[in-house]
Amino acid sequence: MIDHYDWAGGREAMVRFPPAQPGSDAHQVVVLPALFEEHNRTRSFTVAICRGLAALGIGAMLPDLPGQNESQTATEQATLEHWRGAVSDLVVAQSSRHPVHIASIRGGAVIDGVDGSASVWRLAPLTGRAVLRDLERTALIGNKASQAADSVAGPVVLAGNSIGAALHAGLLGDVALPTPAAPVRTVRLEGDVGAADLRLPGAPMWRHSEPGNDETLAQLIAADIAVWIARCGG
Amino acid sequence: MAEVGHSDVVATVRGVLRDVLGISETRVAAFTDATELFGALPEFDSMAVAGVLTELEDRLGILIDDDDVDGEMLATFGALTRFAAARVSG
Repeated sequence: MIDHYDWAGGREAMVRFPPAQPGSDAHQVVVLPALFEEHNRTRSFTVAICRGLAALGIGAMLPDLPGQNESQTATEQATLEHWRGAVSDLVVAQSSRHPVHIASIRGGAVIDGVDGSASVWRLAPLTGRAVLRDLERTALIGNKASQAADSVAGPVVLAGNSIGAALHAGLLGDVALPTPAAPVRTVRLEGDVGAADLRLPGAPMWRHSEPGNDETLAQLIAADIAVWIARCGG
Repeated sequence: MAEVGHSDVVATVRGVLRDVLGISETRVAAFTDATELFGALPEFDSMAVAGVLTELEDRLGILIDDDDVDGEMLATFGALTRFAAARVSG
């Protein structure tokens, strides 16, 4: 269901996945998607996780960030402060009814440290600088392979993503994951050597050339988020 | 010990190609040092190169300088594993 939320800089669209049992929406999660290219590659997967949560009785919200998707904010005007502010305003507004949990996918972790969430769940998180490095590498190697120079004045254009100077600087300076006041659980895929509370079997579809999905992995993730939220309360 | 380390790297490179390029376990298991990759494997396009390199970094705990990336180290399975193994031992 298409909904919206308001933040200090305007109004953004949001897809809402109501819990399967009406009236049982005591648990709700804001899902922060992966950023840029990985966002496109994991869109179906992220929606599958939201549907899985709804089927387990947990209301899920998938917000557009300022400057992304249907947003009326120009892409190159977006900053990390806008994104964090928007997530914060959404969490605060939704918390008036029930506590709100956050689940972030990949680079979504860059903005998951806002105050007011009851807990934070992360899938294969990475810092803003690492997000930027992946984009720069894709752009660099793409250019090297095709010998097509792509120098654009003004905002930085990386692998087809127009990134304003402020957002670029914000990502470059983002060298550590947020440390929210709320409890944090980190889940990674098997083979990933980073620190994790749980490792799940599956392939990193955010690295695939084409968008894809992994319904089995999405359901495992939804189930883990549901157990985690129940443990944290809400 | 050096041989054991190298076989771990080979297994990791196989796993990365399987997971990132979406190549079946059977196909990737048949790869030899001479198997041609970049330019020969349709799944291994320029967009996929960045994913393969970054995933190799994450799984092997290495850093790959983009200046070191060229057609030669991506040309064959053997060249790619030798490149990765040199970073692991270096």
